[in-house]
Amino acid sequence: MTGPLTPDDVSRRAFLETVAKTGGTSFLFGSLFVNTALLRLPQDEAKASAKARRETEIGKGVIYGFVVDTTKCIGCGSCVRACRAENGVPDGYNRTWVEQYTFYPDGEVVVNSPNGGENGFAEPPAPRNEPTVVDQAPVRGFFVPKLCNHCIDTPCIQVCPVGASYKTDEGVVLVDHERCVGCAYCVQACPFGSRYLDPVKLTADKCTWCYHRVTKGLLPACVASCPAEARIFGNVSDPSSTISHILATNRVQVLKSYLGTRPRTRYIGLDSEVI
Amino acid sequence: MRHAGHFARLFALVAITVVGFFFVRSKVVPKDFGVKGHFRLSAIADEAAREPRHIGSSTCADCHDEIATAWRTGKHHTPQCENCHGPGLMHTKVIGEEPTKAYPDKMLAVSALAIKRPTGLTECKWCHLKTFERPSTLKSITNVEAHVVQHQGTFTAATKCIDCHNPHTTVVTPAKKVIQ
Repeated sequence: MTGPLTPDDVSRRAFLETVAKTGGTSFLFGSLFVNTALLRLPQDEAKASAKARRETEIGKGVIYGFVVDTTKCIGCGSCVRACRAENGVPDGYNRTWVEQYTFYPDGEVVVNSPNGGENGFAEPPAPRNEPTVVDQAPVRGFFVPKLCNHCIDTPCIQVCPVGASYKTDEGVVLVDHERCVGCAYCVQACPFGSRYLDPVKLTADKCTWCYHRVTKGLLPACVASCPAEARIFGNVSDPSSTISHILATNRVQVLKSYLGTRPRTRYIGLDSEVI
Repeated sequence: MRHAGHFARLFALVAITVVGFFFVRSKVVPKDFGVKGHFRLSAIADEAAREPRHIGSSTCADCHDEIATAWRTGKHHTPQCENCHGPGLMHTKVIGEEPTKAYPDKMLAVSALAIKRPTGLTECKWCHLKTFERPSTLKSITNVEAHVVQHQGTFTAATKCIDCHNPHTTVVTPAKKVIQ
């Protein structure tokens, strides 16, 4: 080209033709890509997730796993206190907590967790609705300890804008407190409420499965302090470990499996009312 | 080339922006960022470097061997020492590098401050207060007042569980100061 374009160099017809051709071609190719990405059938998804569930992690190096046996939990709150002392969790925040589920004859379920169960539990509170029968004694009840699920497909890591949330090779989800800017996006992204914004550090914080302890050969503080053996921690890639035996001989479930986050924290004796 | 100057200025601006971007990026992004994923690799070592605050009952037993044996052989061996006494890291630090049984009095006083002395009432209620959800196999009482009524005349307002029930062995011995 000899010089800059002047309006006379391109006719209106030629200009419109070029625009139509380029736009049309890119739209065609773009929509093709979008279609292949979005039009995955539900059965394909189900097949993929079933395959992912069947995939064994045996012999893939150290991969930590956590099992909560809700049938054994007595609701003493030792885990909550041990976690607070071990990790310096500020008052009013919890990395792990215990929920008390009580079922009443009229069908009402009361879920209670005063201070996360830190001070133990008393008798459950009465149902919120007015008692219609004279005897409103509960018919069923249990405790459910909760903690970070250390999901394989984590929503919290995905949303972090600065790369402060990450997953180690052992499958532990951690927070880099030097990089975290405290936007709390991950706190909102977690569907299990496992994260909080530390009021002192002003960074996101969460259960680390006591990474500083387990890498030194110790058990997490909550597991070590549990007097009922309701919490089991170990290396799931080692077939001779206790947790592998428990996973092989029990029917385990995860919380909110329909969200597809594939949690590594698994539960024994989970009731359908537990959310 | 009427507009050569314009192009030169535009090119210079773009070049400065691109070079500046990569310069600032090299200074701001840590060296080990992105080695194993979208995160700082040395953050793992930072997290693992924290010191465990719970030392474990076996460490407690190194010095307090008599009470540890009584606890371990008794019925109450499932709750660990630090469940009621709190984390023991500061306790071991205060004692010093070479803990022996014969501490100077001053050292003992300081180390005693670093460990929690349980009240002997609230700790018991964490497990042994009866609620509907707790298993019936766990020994529990409905409320402390009812227990007081059951042992009428032998209790005062200041009575604690541990006055009669030994928390380490679960052996029940009516305390003298209560019975008087």
